[in-house]
This record gives sequence, structure tokens and C-alpha cells, in this order.
Amino acid sequence: MKTKAAVLWEVNAPWSVEEIELDAPGPGEVLVKIAASGMCHSDEHLATGDLPFALPIVGGHEGAGVVEQVGEGVSWLAPGDHVVFGFIPSCGRCPSCSTGHQNLCDLGALMGLGKQISDGTSRHHAQGQDLTLMCMLGTFAHHTVVNEASCIKIEEDVPLDKACLLGCGVVTGWGSAVYAADVSVGDTVVVVGVGGIGANAIQGAKLAGAKRIVAVDPVEFKREKAMEFGATHTASSMAEALPLLQDITWGTMANKVIMTMGVGDGQVMGEAMALASKRGRVVVTNIHPAFETGGANMSLLDLTLMEKQVVGSLFGSGNPRADIPKLLGLYREGLLDLDGLVTKTYPLEGINEGYQDMRDGKNIRGVLVYE
Amino acid sequence: MKSRAAVLYGLNQPWVVEEIEVDEPKANEVLVNWKVAGMCHSDEHFVTGDMVPPKEFLEMMGVKDFFPFIGGHEGAGVVVKCGPGVTSLQPGDHVSASFVPSCGRCRYCSTGRQNLCNMGAGTLTGGMITDGTHRHFVKDGRPVKLMAKLGTFSEYATVAEASLIKVEKDLPLDCVALVSCGVATGWGSATNRADTQPGDTVVVVGIGGIGINAVQGARMAGAKRIIAIDPVEFKREKAMEMGATHTFASMTEAIPHITEMTWGEMADRVIMTPGVLHGDMMGEGMAMVGKGGTCVVTAISPMQETSADINLFQLAMWNKEVKGTIFGSLNPRADIPRLLDMYRVGDLKLEELITRRYTLDEINEGYQAMRDGVNIRGVIVND
Repeated sequence: MKTKAAVLWEVNAPWSVEEIELDAPGPGEVLVKIAASGMCHSDEHLATGDLPFALPIVGGHEGAGVVEQVGEGVSWLAPGDHVVFGFIPSCGRCPSCSTGHQNLCDLGALMGLGKQISDGTSRHHAQGQDLTLMCMLGTFAHHTVVNEASCIKIEEDVPLDKACLLGCGVVTGWGSAVYAADVSVGDTVVVVGVGGIGANAIQGAKLAGAKRIVAVDPVEFKREKAMEFGATHTASSMAEALPLLQDITWGTMANKVIMTMGVGDGQVMGEAMALASKRGRVVVTNIHPAFETGGANMSLLDLTLMEKQVVGSLFGSGNPRADIPKLLGLYREGLLDLDGLVTKTYPLEGINEGYQDMRDGKNIRGVLVYE
Repeated sequence: MKSRAAVLYGLNQPWVVEEIEVDEPKANEVLVNWKVAGMCHSDEHFVTGDMVPPKEFLEMMGVKDFFPFIGGHEGAGVVVKCGPGVTSLQPGDHVSASFVPSCGRCRYCSTGRQNLCNMGAGTLTGGMITDGTHRHFVKDGRPVKLMAKLGTFSEYATVAEASLIKVEKDLPLDCVALVSCGVATGWGSATNRADTQPGDTVVVVGIGGIGINAVQGARMAGAKRIIAIDPVEFKREKAMEMGATHTFASMTEAIPHITEMTWGEMADRVIMTPGVLHGDMMGEGMAMVGKGGTCVVTAISPMQETSADINLFQLAMWNKEVKGTIFGSLNPRADIPRLLDMYRVGDLKLEELITRRYTLDEINEGYQAMRDGVNIRGVIVND
């Protein structure tokens, strides 16, 4: 069949919205009519080359839609089912999946190839070439074909243009606070960078009972949004946050520091560590350039003597199949704000405008909404 | 196809070894040739009725007659044939049984608690996990249930892919069979559920196929003292071989000694693994738990027993905890291969657990030996 998709043909080029050819789903695969897709910073990383995936690629990994057709052997999805895509598949059988770490599913190893999980080929084609898929999903398109391992069935009462955010940014941010940082009641938490991830780290920290949440972002609009999501203090930089924390914590500093900047920078790790208390934990959630050199600038003496911890986190250390339904449950009960995350919606054709707005700091999250 | 199997036709009857009919595997099912079956106490619980659901419960589940029933849930075998849609196995693969299935998709499987997989809900009812229909029939044509949907007391059985864990072919199948239930349950009770820490004092009450592995687990986790309690001398001796430091014939006998050796602090962990646990045993069990200590309940109690002798004042004031566990709170797909690798490097003892091997025809003899306290573990081996 034909569908429309945003394709990246080369690094540092704009997204090209064009008609592509989509094959029928093979064994274990499903055809999904996508309703909406979040515009995550990670797709921008494709365009800048920070994430060196094979091109040409259909972007987008934060999506939700309705199953239209299932391939042979698909056992737990049927046409009409509403699904959110997990940007990491979960096979349910590998050692990571079997111990509550679906975010590290062994099938994730195939992600950089961007081909189908089942047989390593492409179902998406344009201009006579095979297309790869961001996170084996390709949600910057009206339709896609993906493996069932990447689909999480959800209840039909949640609007898909909100549910799509659960595929990446919301769980990544919320889980960075709740799981990776393990925010405890009474903690002081710093969230560095208030975009689609950071805003949800603030929401997670609040629900986990943090006493103080200090949001750090240079953009005033984002600091204002941070207060709406539950921050108690804001600062425009870590340098500004340092004396603030010294003051409000009586010098004991933050229990948890969560790094959720647009692009990670090893040179600021020292500043982040300085915000952490004795036994404090720094969670690195943001994406650093794949070829970053110079390492992380931090004092290992400080790490040892103050027993600080540095912890990496992927998908907020959450389990897609458990946490996507769980967070939709929190949304239903009014304990998680998804509506306030969406600053602006765009049609697929507005994708380049949307990413420019992201670069300009105008959006917490832009969402592509398809008819 | 035809298969020989040990069938139970009613309470307190012997196992009848006879020919049954086994249907081909349908979608997401696998035909397995069971090579080795462990003779676990849980199968005996169906003979005595401890684990046979009450009539009202069965009616609620739409089950008319509980029997006939093929026993066996501890096993290892070889895949003969795969139904459509099976992706994790192929003919010739060696497999471990897993008495709790793991779908890999439910909330519990998705958070590292495969031992609580939602597919386990129908374990005691009839029919396949996949579609609720039957693949196994006795001579008179009646459908027959399988213990834990596995029926390892049959030479061949059709089981759901969700109940099978692929294992490497270098591992002896009798060792794989033991790990599939008793070893994992006992070992995990000590290491995972009791969370035994280096330097702890651990008490294991009842040294059968589960308790002996709780002793191993406590040893591997670095316990300082491991106190094994069993009335049978042979079992106390086996416990010492597997790492116990002290043994006693009863809790009554052990309590003053534990008081003395711990300078009155008592045990950090107490693990209850008798053949059958009754609520009135919990009083002495909890008396052996020190301040802030943990009592893990692993053993099967009669299904309809509803009271336990626990001093709740002491529970609160001394911050004690009582924790239940199924499958040692482990994840079958991760932990069965993990335990077998500990066996490979020599840390986990498995061959030493097998007291005697039986043919399928000798099953009643094997269970009599268990009742007589002669076996740590008997296994059935099919040629």
C-alpha cells in the first residue's frame, strides 16, 4: 500500500514528507494506522548525526495508533486494538525481560539497523530504496508495519494523541525520577533540563513525595511550565542552582540530580555532581553524542569520599508492558498531566516547523497529529 | 499418539501406569518427550487431597470432576514437535519444565516476577493454557488433567510453549529436572525471598527436596550458621553434607540451642519447608526468628486450613516479618539457566540430591520411599 512518511535522506537535511510504499505485515508483524506521534529530541539526534543510524530512515518513535491488519502467528493483537509503541521491543523471554528490565530487552540490539525484527528486511520503500525505521517503528508516517514485540495494547478510553507520549518521553522522564533515581519521600531533587523528559521527571519526583524539586532550564517559558508540573524552585543554570541548593538544604545539597538536557555534555558532569549530597545519586538520562570525546568531567575523589553515585537510565529504567498501562492509569486518575505537556500540534507536513520550534525552545512537546 | 503415563483416579489411591492418548500440538503448543521427572512432594499432595481444590471452587471454575489426573511437574525432556506460532523452540531442543508458565507480557512477567505470571491462574483447572481444550485422554476417552499443565509422569505430553524453558544440551537432564522445581524453590527461598546476607544465622525447617536446597542457597549467600531441622537422621546427615552447620530433630529441641549460640538474638531467617505445613507449627517457627528477622513460608499447607499460630504482639514489637513464596520468588526463564550454570562451575550440587532412580512403573514404590523418609529426591527416568 501507499502511505505518507517523513524521511531523512541525509544528515543535516530537512525531513522530506513524501509518499512511500508499505508492504503487508509478515509473520509476527502488524500494520498500524498511526494517530499521533510525539516529536522527541532523539529524532533530532538522527538529523544532526548524534545518533548514527542507517539512512534513509523514517523518523519517529513516540507513537500510538490502531491495528489494521495482523500477520501470521500474531497472538495477542487483533485489528481494531489500540496500541502504544514501545521504542524498545520486549520479547518477554530474554534474561533482561525475565528479570523486570524490559527496557534492556536483547532485541534492542537490532535497533541501530532499523530493519524488521523478524527477518532483517524492510517493509518500507521509497524512490526504489529500502527505508530503515527509527527504533524499528517509524511513527512519522500515517501507517507503519512493526513487530508485535514493539506494540503495547492499551484501553480505548485514552485519546491516542496523548497516549503516544507514553511511548518514550513520559515514561523516560517519570521513570528517571521514580525508578532510576529512586526518589524517596522527603527528598530534594534537581531536574536539569525541562523538555519532554525533564517535565515528566518533575511529575515523577512530585508523585514520589519529594520535598523540594529544583528545575534548571535557561528558557523562562520552561521554568514556568516546570512550576506547573510540580517544581518548587527554578534556576536558569546549574551555576545558579548551586547557591540556591546550599541555601535551601542548609548545605546538605540534593539527594537526587536528574540530567535531562536536550543534548548531554560530559563537561558539565562536574557541576551536576556538585549539586548532589553525600550518598547523592546523579541519573544520566539525556543522550550524549555517540562520538563525544573528552569523557565526563567529574571528581572521582568526590565520588568516593562522599559516596556519590552516577547511574545511567534508558526508558526511565521502566518496563514498557507494565509501565505504559500503569502511567495511563495515573493519567485517568488525574495524577499525571499529559494534556499540559503538549505545547502545539502539527500535521505531518509541519514536521520541520515543529522541530524548529523545539530548537527555539518554544515547545515542551510538539505532537504530530494525523487525520 | 500413545504414551504411557502415571494416572491418579481418586484420593488416596495408587498411581496407575497405563497407556493414554496424546493429541498433536496446536498453536503455541509443543509435544515433549519427558526424559526425567522429579518425584516432588507436591504431587503427593494430590494423592492426600491437600492440594485438591474444594468442590465449590471446582464448580466455580466449571470443573466437574478433578480426577483423572496425570502427575509430575518437575521434569526435563526433548522437544518432539512444535505447533504453529512457536518461536522459542524447535524439535530436538532440550527443555526444562516450568510449573509456573511465563507469558512474558502480563504485569508480573513485565516487572521481574514471572513466578506470579497471570497464566498460572488456571493451574488446577483442566485443559490447555492456550485454548482451554484437552490434548490428553485416558482409555475410556475421558479427558485427563495434567499437574501444572505439564504431566511429567507421562512419557509424552503436549504443553504450552509458555511452560517450557530451553536449556543447553551439555546439561544432564536429571539435573535439569531437579532445578525446574525443588532446587529453584528451595534455593530461591533462602537467597531471594529470605534475602540471606553474609554472616546471617539461618534455620531451615524440614529437609526434603526443597529444604536441602534452602540449605545450599543459604550456604552460597554466605550464612554464618545454617541450622537444619528434621526428625529423620539420614536427612540431617544430608543437610550437613550440603552445608548445614548444626542439625536438630525438632524445633522444640533446636530453640534452646539457637538461643545459646546466638547469645539470645535468635535467627535472622527461618525458612519453613516441611512436607506439609500446619498452622500450629508457626508458633515455634516464629519463636526462632530474632528481632527484625524474616520467616519465609515455602511449604504447602492444606488448601482449606485457615489459621496460623503466630504471636502478633511479638510480630509488631520485634518488627518481624512473614513472607510467602512460590518458586522461591525466582523468574523461571532467567533463573533456571542461571542455576544450571552455577552447577556447571561446581557451586550448586545437584547429583548429590538424587537418592534413587526409578522407572515409571516403580512410581508407587518411589513415593512410599519418600513417605518413609528414605529419599531426599527420587527421580523417574524414561529410556
